[in-house]
Amino acid sequence: MAHSTITPLAQEERETLRSFIADQLGRGNLDLPLLPVVANRVLLLSSDPDADASQLSSLIQQDQALAGQILRIANSPAYAPRTPIVSLQQAITWLGLTMLAGLAFSVSVQSGVFHTTGYEKEVRNLWRHALATGLFGKEIARRIRHNVENAFLCGLLHTIGKPAILHLLSQTPDKSAEPFSWITVESLFEEFHVMAGSKLAAVWQLPDPVQETIRYYQDDQYHQAISPTKGAMITCLAHHLASVILGDSTHDENSLLTLPVVQDLNFYPEDMTALLELRETVKASVECFLP
Amino acid sequence: MTSPTPFDLIVIGSGPAGQKAAIQGAKAGKRVALIEQTREVGGACVYQGTIPSKTLRESALQMVRFLQATEVFEFRMRDDVKITNLMTRLDRVVRAHGKFMKDQLTRNGIDCFHGRAGFVSDQEVRIQKIDGTSALVTAPIIIVATGSRPRVPDNIPIDHEHILDSDSILSLVYLPKSLTVLGGGVIASEYASIFALLGVQVTMVDTADRPLKFLDQELTDEFCEAFEKTGGHYRGGQKIDTVQWDGCSKVTTVLESGETLESEKVLVALGRVSNLEHLNLKATGIHPTTRGLIPVNNHCQTTVPHIYAVGDVIGPPSLASCSMEQGRRAVCHALGLNSGVAPEHIPMGIYTIPEMSSVGLSEQEATAKYGGATVGRARFHEIARGQISGMTNGLLKMVADPKGEQLLGIHIVGEGATELIHIGQMGLLHNMLIDRFIDNIFNFPTLAEAYRVAALDIAKQRQH
Repeated sequence: MAHSTITPLAQEERETLRSFIADQLGRGNLDLPLLPVVANRVLLLSSDPDADASQLSSLIQQDQALAGQILRIANSPAYAPRTPIVSLQQAITWLGLTMLAGLAFSVSVQSGVFHTTGYEKEVRNLWRHALATGLFGKEIARRIRHNVENAFLCGLLHTIGKPAILHLLSQTPDKSAEPFSWITVESLFEEFHVMAGSKLAAVWQLPDPVQETIRYYQDDQYHQAISPTKGAMITCLAHHLASVILGDSTHDENSLLTLPVVQDLNFYPEDMTALLELRETVKASVECFLP
Repeated sequence: MTSPTPFDLIVIGSGPAGQKAAIQGAKAGKRVALIEQTREVGGACVYQGTIPSKTLRESALQMVRFLQATEVFEFRMRDDVKITNLMTRLDRVVRAHGKFMKDQLTRNGIDCFHGRAGFVSDQEVRIQKIDGTSALVTAPIIIVATGSRPRVPDNIPIDHEHILDSDSILSLVYLPKSLTVLGGGVIASEYASIFALLGVQVTMVDTADRPLKFLDQELTDEFCEAFEKTGGHYRGGQKIDTVQWDGCSKVTTVLESGETLESEKVLVALGRVSNLEHLNLKATGIHPTTRGLIPVNNHCQTTVPHIYAVGDVIGPPSLASCSMEQGRRAVCHALGLNSGVAPEHIPMGIYTIPEMSSVGLSEQEATAKYGGATVGRARFHEIARGQISGMTNGLLKMVADPKGEQLLGIHIVGEGATELIHIGQMGLLHNMLIDRFIDNIFNFPTLAEAYRVAALDIAKQRQH
């Protein structure tokens, strides 16, 4: 990463940041960003069985930038519309209510929640990973004949703690003009992103299965999840698959087979092959969403 | 090439049939290998079938009982009781049951293998493990108990999101407003009645003019009446043309009559298919039937005498209770052990709301066999216990020979039917006369009194 060569931090400085983040997260009055109104309403709508497409359409129309992004995504080659998508109602019909709600939520959160000056490229990569995880999550759920409805949102938000940490870092009192080294930031992610994500999820009142996934999606944690949606376990594997296809994993495709989560989901080599065959489709969807 | 590990008995599949087969083999002192393709033992019965659906049913009933009790005890339930809460309880029950089964296998010294079994020859099986490696095992006796999974009809695009099967419906995250259930069999009827009770607008669609057509019509009439009271509808005599998610908010089911039904979700429960695809049966010389089942004789022996097949892979009745017994008896036969008298009267339990259960001859079967039948009826609302429990529907139907003397069959609809049936089953097994139900005393007040009332109804007809 470029930042690591620009501003190498001394161990002392790294420890200072760790203390700052730990202190922030330990506080009851954590200063985390509020969920944008539109995103909040999209989320509520997507989990409301009484909601219908016209309500979501009117909601998206209230945010011009959001509406534009949704139309762009719906018209992208990844979703291959038979005819050009010209209205939000048409986009909803084409993409499906759940998918659209997830995308709208994600666009809305990305565009306005977190102050990430200096880390634009890295944050974009975080969102690419989150989106790929959501997309793989759906396919994993489908393969185990599990309800796929929640899998996308669980994957999309499983590492929401990472941008939350960047937000906290932007509030460091003695912040230097240069962004912190990305290596340092990543070490902070490693240590704190689950805690930060869990706190943010609670503040935002995300659905219970999503909160549980954020807390327990990691390899050594998903056994603690109790939700019958299996969101944490599904997201754990989706997270690894996303990392591999986006090139940010220490695993290669073959070594994925040795992951305990692969065994726990009972995925045989041919099941994994079938999932990995989706790599180009997932990448295309990610690219059209975050060009 | 590593030589295969020898066992006395190989059992493929750890559902009710496979588990009992393995335990029987171990109890006979044999070295048993049990191969299960999932990490957990217990099969679909524990994880997608019998146990989850019955637990969900019980949770739904408890919720409704609580709702009814709010009037008496002046408390309020949360308006947003979540289906995930009901499902979480289900998960706990399933885990506990799975653990119990695993412990039982361990206690009996059975070697459990996690992997997919495929025949290499009629005595040798390859276990393909999840990490891509494999192992070979061999035995002179092999039991196939690989179970079944929901059938996916060609014309219905099950996506596990809007169009579900009986596996994916168990991971719903909220209760849909409306549900179309395709099918009129046991699974369709059970889920239809559970979701209707939970307040979902349910429509069942099937080709048959009534659901569960193999049961006595008086039972299914009672079931339909109760189902409709909870807002459910049964659309009989209908064939499905297409099912399509509109990409927006509803699934449209088009019937061959041209009529369309719209609902938020669709449950496809149009039968099950046997799990044979990984078995490589051609290496054994066994040929599945055109319906994809393994053909067997009365001892569950296939055309290859030392290979047996039990449970769902051999087709109806596909009841967990029968599958267990098939597993046990198959191993006894293979080992030359006495398996006892073959069960004559197997009860059938349907966990609809209300429950239905049946044993012995139906009125129609008795008439065909004996040239007539005498039928006695007891309605639960006429029984003290039924009144106390607020049972507005429920029926025990007793079938006797034309003279009204010999018990031939019992058919029950109503809560507790699947437990209550066993009195009748014991009566049938001991060739009990109708008067024995009249001359004896049952606890009072209990629903067992219905046996006496129905017997008296038969006796009354006898006198005339």
